[in-house]
Amino acid sequence: MRVVLVGAGALGARCARQLHAAPSLSSLALVDIDAARAKAVAGSLGDRMSTAGSLDAALGHGGADVVVLSCPGSHEVLARRALDAGASVVSVTDDPDCAAALLALDGDAAASGSSVVVGAGFAPGLSCLLARHAAADLTAVEEVHVAKIGTAGPACARQHHAALAAPTREWRDGAWVERRSGSGRELCWFPDPIGGVDCYRAALADPLLLQAAFPDALRVTARMAATRRDRVTAHLPMLRPPHKEGLIGAVRVEVRGWRDAVSDTRVFGALDRPAVAGGCVAAVAAAWAADGRFRRRGAGGLADLVDDPVPFLSELAGRGVRAAVFEGAGTT
Amino acid sequence: MKALRRAIAALLTAGLVAAVLRLRGTGGTPPQTGGWRELSGPDLT
Repeated sequence: MRVVLVGAGALGARCARQLHAAPSLSSLALVDIDAARAKAVAGSLGDRMSTAGSLDAALGHGGADVVVLSCPGSHEVLARRALDAGASVVSVTDDPDCAAALLALDGDAAASGSSVVVGAGFAPGLSCLLARHAAADLTAVEEVHVAKIGTAGPACARQHHAALAAPTREWRDGAWVERRSGSGRELCWFPDPIGGVDCYRAALADPLLLQAAFPDALRVTARMAATRRDRVTAHLPMLRPPHKEGLIGAVRVEVRGWRDAVSDTRVFGALDRPAVAGGCVAAVAAAWAADGRFRRRGAGGLADLVDDPVPFLSELAGRGVRAAVFEGAGTT
Repeated sequence: MKALRRAIAALLTAGLVAAVLRLRGTGGTPPQTGGWRELSGPDLT
């Protein structure tokens, strides 16, 4: 497996470490605007590693089976270049506009026999896998609700900040409804020790990806944890530089539907550092794309591309990213 | 006297707003039964 990884930040560096541990890896080229950082990450891993000044240079030098995009900004142009070079793409974007642009590459990717995995991080990413896992227990899915807390590196924190200011869309009764970010407070219970945290609507990519995976669902929403200061200052520039890496985070996925003729609710969650878990998800997604293990070629989120999420979750568990199920009142 | 009344009114209004914000900020009822169980073994086969 030949991989080019664009973006050696908090998540990208973790992804590189996970990819490097794969026996099937033959080469891994790192591309970052900070060349010193890319060299430092490559140097810490040793053999089979290299760095390049740009994606084009990396593709021209050794080619690639998979290009992992973990850099800030739009991934569409980079994804097109990767597809043109015959590589599959794994993007960790959590920007809904970027996700929509990548989903639009479905036809091109399918025609070239490649995969474009959109949102292969913590949320979206692990959230999509958990939604697919929850849906496996149901005969019909009516509602999917995602909540998340925590950020990975600085780019993720900036996206978190922007998500509370941009208009958000959620799927309701078969149509997209625009809502104001920062509204819709809901107390969401994450795996311990995080517990209950107020979450609000935000411009997240999860609804877009999950609606495509569950087209018959009536409601698909996503919320993220925010403080009052986050909401008040969302429309201002960030008042202080973001942390190098956020603290522990969590994701919670609630899927409501029917099992035979009985209404049922399944709740899954995961607790981890978003950069670590997101890096693992991206690395496993890259290996699956290289091995052709997704259920179809083309562009989609993990809930769409993964037919049976159990092997994927099992691989993640082997790397230390463990999911949990809530068993209690209102669930079975 | 007028200024004093205005100051008292301003303080009362500020207190009322603060009370509303404080009340809105308190959370709901935590789950009374059940809990999180890590997926392992048979869950992942």
